[in-house]
Amino acid sequence: MSEADAATDEKSADAKDSPTKDTPYRKPAEMPERIVQIKGVSKVFYRGKEEIRVLEKLDLDVPSGSFEALMGPSGSGKSTLLNLIAGLDRPTSGEVRVAGADLTRMSDGQLAKWRSQNIGFVFQSFNLIPVLTAAQNVELPLLLTGLSGADRKQRVATALRVVGLEDRMEHYPRQLSGGQEQRVAIARAIVNDPKIIVADEPTGDLDRKSADDVLVLLDKLNKELGKTIFMVTHDPAAAEKAKIQRKLDKGALL
Amino acid sequence: MNIGTYARRNLFRRKGRTILTVAAVAVVVLIFCLIQTVDWAFKVGAEESMQDRLATRHKVSITMQLPKRYIEDVRAVPGVTKATWANWFGAKDPKERVPFFAGFAADHESWFDVFDDMVVDPKELADWKATPSGVIIGDLIAKTFDVKVGDKLNITSDIYPGDWDFKVVGIYHPKRRNVDRNSVILRWDYLNNDPRATFGKDQIGWIMSRIQNGGQSAQVSTAIDKVFDEKDDQTITMSERAFNLSFMGAFAAVLGAFKIVSVVILLIMFLIVANTIAMSVRERTHEYGVLKAIGFSPSYVGGFIVGEALLLSIVGGLVGLGLVQLLINVVLGPFIEDNMGFMFIAFRTPTQTMLLALGIVVGLGLLAAIIPARNASRLKVTDALRRVD
Repeated sequence: MSEADAATDEKSADAKDSPTKDTPYRKPAEMPERIVQIKGVSKVFYRGKEEIRVLEKLDLDVPSGSFEALMGPSGSGKSTLLNLIAGLDRPTSGEVRVAGADLTRMSDGQLAKWRSQNIGFVFQSFNLIPVLTAAQNVELPLLLTGLSGADRKQRVATALRVVGLEDRMEHYPRQLSGGQEQRVAIARAIVNDPKIIVADEPTGDLDRKSADDVLVLLDKLNKELGKTIFMVTHDPAAAEKAKIQRKLDKGALL
Repeated sequence: MNIGTYARRNLFRRKGRTILTVAAVAVVVLIFCLIQTVDWAFKVGAEESMQDRLATRHKVSITMQLPKRYIEDVRAVPGVTKATWANWFGAKDPKERVPFFAGFAADHESWFDVFDDMVVDPKELADWKATPSGVIIGDLIAKTFDVKVGDKLNITSDIYPGDWDFKVVGIYHPKRRNVDRNSVILRWDYLNNDPRATFGKDQIGWIMSRIQNGGQSAQVSTAIDKVFDEKDDQTITMSERAFNLSFMGAFAAVLGAFKIVSVVILLIMFLIVANTIAMSVRERTHEYGVLKAIGFSPSYVGGFIVGEALLLSIVGGLVGLGLVQLLINVVLGPFIEDNMGFMFIAFRTPTQTMLLALGIVVGLGLLAAIIPARNASRLKVTDALRRVD
């Protein structure tokens, strides 16, 4: 598939799946059957002249609407795999198709646009912008859409209501607890109604109670809104919440 | 919220650093404008000189004198309508109320015919013609000396010894902006007849003439000088503008040095802004990774950095222009015009200079952002996300 085909593929998917004002989040039935298709993917890094093979001819299919947890020791390639699925990095070889688009053939600009429309990120350290309020942080991805200010405001309010923080809209990150910050980050991840949410150690920086709240929220997004969730975690309690648990070691799925 | 909100908020993320950078930019704008204003003020009097007025002096130097009889020869040159003359008196205020002012001895019959942009009441002019020890002085220096028509005025000279007592018989007012309002004009014949001036008896310092057509000044100047080509004292004739500029020869070198200083200052400002932007970008590398991850393209990330630099430069530039308006145009300018009018007829920062200063700092701000913006936009998302400061 050419780069142009990939873009066309992406456009048609956008047109079909674009959220509307009335239905801000897509229904599970509209998702492709296998949202992530990874075939023979290898990833090699170089440290000076030393070659480090992180992933080795890896195959992976993630069904649409699933909630998967990926576990494994440090250096096993979890984050690398997550980055490939999220379109943050490209494989050394092999094919990565996510939400119908071949990510290996996209330019940096196309990938950025694709991520804004298809991927929701949840990071371990929340990564909220400290100079913006909770509402403004959630609104950030919407600035890349053609939505009007009023529509953006409505969608931000909806996203923050989903995570239970509608009363913290004007708070700055420093005025929120860790758990609340992560919930704002989740609101930011879902505000664009992405096809898939990727979470990198979403409970890693939280106490048990806050971590449980976040996991309940992710579970709710999966069950009630049909969001596909792909989560990297070291936390067995977090992994237990997922429908599917995978283990990665030395660049290969076990 | 819009895209600009992020750049705006980032600007004040580290208030102390931003305030210091804005202050540095503002001071640079102030110094740049001050230097440009000095340069402009030196030239403005000359630039606005009368087109149809010529000055004739000794070919060797203004300090050398010409025979008085030359005036009739100049008046006889075709194209010359009027001519007058003067000698430098080297006037000084014994009470040192002003450090320097123009004092010269002029022909009482013809001076104000040639300098009709110095307006004198006809009765006062008649009094001057009838009073050998009379002086006509500028309206500003009259205020400084706190004298009015009829008062005595005591001045000294660094050329002619002793105290000189004059009677103020008139006060002239400017008809044009570039007329010096701080001159003291005594009668040439009074000086010429004084025993203290015997060394320069019947000698004149320079001749000022009016011509029929300002466009013919070059031809008339040549014609005047040709008259004296074969004489012992040869002359050089030039436009009033060139004559005034010739007094600035010494200052020109100083102004040149000032201009070099202003370029150095702009360079320092560029480095300060570049350092501020580079530090900000370094601190926020991880954040730019997050923005890229959620879909902001490389050009957006570069745009945030350029926008922030632009905002920083504009804010600093506007604060600087506020200082220029307050310190130069409101406080310093009027003070200099009142007290140093002999050098600076007008001392205000022209609007064009202010716009130029703003344009330069904004341009330099943008330039300072180019490399950090390019680096940030090219950064790999995964590398940026790994970076923790």
